[in-house]
Amino acid sequence: MRVPLFLSSCVVAICFILVSITVFAEESDQSEMDGRELYMSYQCWQCHGYEGQGGAAARVASTVYPFEAFARFVRHPNLMPAYTPKMLSDEKLRRIYDYVRSIPEPPPLEDIPALRDN
Amino acid sequence: MKPSDKGEGLNRREFLSSATAAGVAAVSLTKGGQASAEEAVEPMAAVPTAAQLAMEYEDPAGYSAEEFGDYFVKRAGSDFMVDVIQSLDFEYVTANPGSSFRGLHESIVNYGGNKGPELLTCPHEEQAVAMAHGYAKVAGKPLAVLAHGTVGFQHAAMAVYNAWCDRAPMVILGGNHYDATERRPGVEWAHSAQDAAVVVRDYVKWDDTPQSLQHFSESMVRAYKIATTPPMGPVVVMLDGHLQESEVGDQALRIPAMTPTRRPVGDAGAILEAARWLVEAESPVIVADWMAHDQEGMDRLVALAEALQAPVVNLRGRLNFPNTHHLSQGRGQVARADVILGLELNDPWGVVNTLQDRVHRTEQRIARPDVHVISIGVNDLFMKSNYQNFQRYYAADLSIAGDAQATLPSLTEAVQRQMSRARRRANSDREQRFRTAHAKRRAQALDAARYAWDASPVSTARLYMDLLALVKDKDWAMVSEDRQQNSWGRRLWPMEKHYQYIGGSGGAGIGYGAPAAVGAALAHRAEGRLAINVQRDGDMMYVPGVFWTAAHHQIPLLTVTHNNRGYHQEFMHLQRMASRRQRGIDGSSLVGNALRDPEPNLAQIAAGMGCWSEGPITEPGDVGRAIKRALDVVDNGEPALVDVVCQPR
Repeated sequence: MRVPLFLSSCVVAICFILVSITVFAEESDQSEMDGRELYMSYQCWQCHGYEGQGGAAARVASTVYPFEAFARFVRHPNLMPAYTPKMLSDEKLRRIYDYVRSIPEPPPLEDIPALRDN
Repeated sequence: MKPSDKGEGLNRREFLSSATAAGVAAVSLTKGGQASAEEAVEPMAAVPTAAQLAMEYEDPAGYSAEEFGDYFVKRAGSDFMVDVIQSLDFEYVTANPGSSFRGLHESIVNYGGNKGPELLTCPHEEQAVAMAHGYAKVAGKPLAVLAHGTVGFQHAAMAVYNAWCDRAPMVILGGNHYDATERRPGVEWAHSAQDAAVVVRDYVKWDDTPQSLQHFSESMVRAYKIATTPPMGPVVVMLDGHLQESEVGDQALRIPAMTPTRRPVGDAGAILEAARWLVEAESPVIVADWMAHDQEGMDRLVALAEALQAPVVNLRGRLNFPNTHHLSQGRGQVARADVILGLELNDPWGVVNTLQDRVHRTEQRIARPDVHVISIGVNDLFMKSNYQNFQRYYAADLSIAGDAQATLPSLTEAVQRQMSRARRRANSDREQRFRTAHAKRRAQALDAARYAWDASPVSTARLYMDLLALVKDKDWAMVSEDRQQNSWGRRLWPMEKHYQYIGGSGGAGIGYGAPAAVGAALAHRAEGRLAINVQRDGDMMYVPGVFWTAAHHQIPLLTVTHNNRGYHQEFMHLQRMASRRQRGIDGSSLVGNALRDPEPNLAQIAAGMGCWSEGPITEPGDVGRAIKRALDVVDNGEPALVDVVCQPR
């Protein structure tokens, strides 16, 4: 059975609009995310821990690297997968960087008996 | 003890109970309980009660000979099988019940008195095998495992593969019905195979299908011997159902001696050459994997390392070297080495090279291009083709076939003889350097552990350290692998005894963790040690029934979960794939990997198996108190589980 051209065009157009709205909504949601939310959304936590403490990969909490060096690790990594600007914009990466840089230092060793005494 | 010591009245069972594994000479049995022996040793199996003996020998009254033959068996083939099994040093047999070995099952319980071996009930064959796996690594000897030759072996297969890769000895007895005319219609056909052992043949050292009881006797002893000869591994002996259930009759049966094979020592000339290379090296490094069978192995490696003042890199196979020793160092040492001594390495190529996980997998050299590699191990003595766990070929500069632990004394002696005064002075400089490096590594580990200390979910470093604070004064033994937990156990806990860490699964087959921990705990129970299992959530979902086995058989085990709500390694693999393909990096990796919605309640699962439990715990401040309560339960001889929701690694 042949579908009239007009009808099929309408279906395609509606689908396009719906997809666009969805994509825009996701983009909009991510645009409003703060650095921690982006860190979680882009799955940085998988290798670096929910608090940036490290795990399967290096610690990023309280990083002392400048943004340019941090970005180089993310864009042209040695071990981790490469995150391109297409997938993670410079602006979002900057927010993630600001977040991990802001993670407060943990208590000193002397204040943690389980580490100090064992 | 010789039979003559007990006088003329020695009956068959008493005599058989005196036949044990090591050093037993040939034993002959004839109908009527007459026995003779060239030599015998100490008793091992329990002597049966008078009631058992009466049941065994007295014919029931009121039956014609024809009826009697149809209804009763005076002496079943599986009774003799128990005699054979009891002549070997099996403390336990793990089994999920199956009709293809019902004859032997009954004989173990009623004829053998359920001792030596005692039957442990397992709700899954994978569990039964993995328990034997964990047990062997602590006890240093095999368990027996019973399984259907068809469906049971299919369930067991993955765990057998792990044991094969991890060089863990065990004897797996498989039930099967070989004679088609003897099979009842239905299940007995479905549970029979022409070649039942084929399911696991690629990853066991040896298998056999005995056609007679005498054949079983000899194959069983041979199986034990093969399993426990390095490289150790699982072996299979099939049990024909008809053979188990038929009358022994007037067969003259004998149980041969089990003479343990001495571990092979490397060639004497090659050892002298290796010693010369090591003594002359500027930066010798020792890398050990499946080296130490026991504490003696660790002590021998300490002696060699100290003689050379060479750093030791302990890979994951076994605990080969105390991590508190100043020569215990990280893999970074490999890059500096001019001579590497590899001890029981499964993957020497992977020690000196790596392959990047990128689209194009390019090799990267880790070691110096001019490094000389000496390999001592048993891998070249036994290998199979199909499964590729033997890793990439590496041409060592000096390859010595021999058990490394057995070879170390002669190597150390040769090193000490060849050591000049000048070299000894240089070694003392090395000692100071490694003391400093060791202290620095320790400080770095403690510093790293501070991060996320107060976080929720709980940091894995904190989990380990809160646990250590509560057990450090006990005779503890970790029975789980910590690789997926950032190696916090080996980085932070003082491990000085061989039994305190038993390595991993070998084949990376998930589902090993919980049952192997229970098996290891079973071996520790006899020594009165506290067995500690840091349990991964994904692994626990495979055969959680093992917690029932632990509760039922009162196997004390402290389990604390590292519950990261998913198959976390796979999260990272998926994320890498998505990143490589430039799509879905914001969460697609959770699909198929996350254990959420609903989150499995591991504490309830354990409780449902009759195991004391508490959790899920998400706040770090609650962890220590819960573990303390669990320890009270474990100290009382029971298993306990604390479910802790943790950081990913």
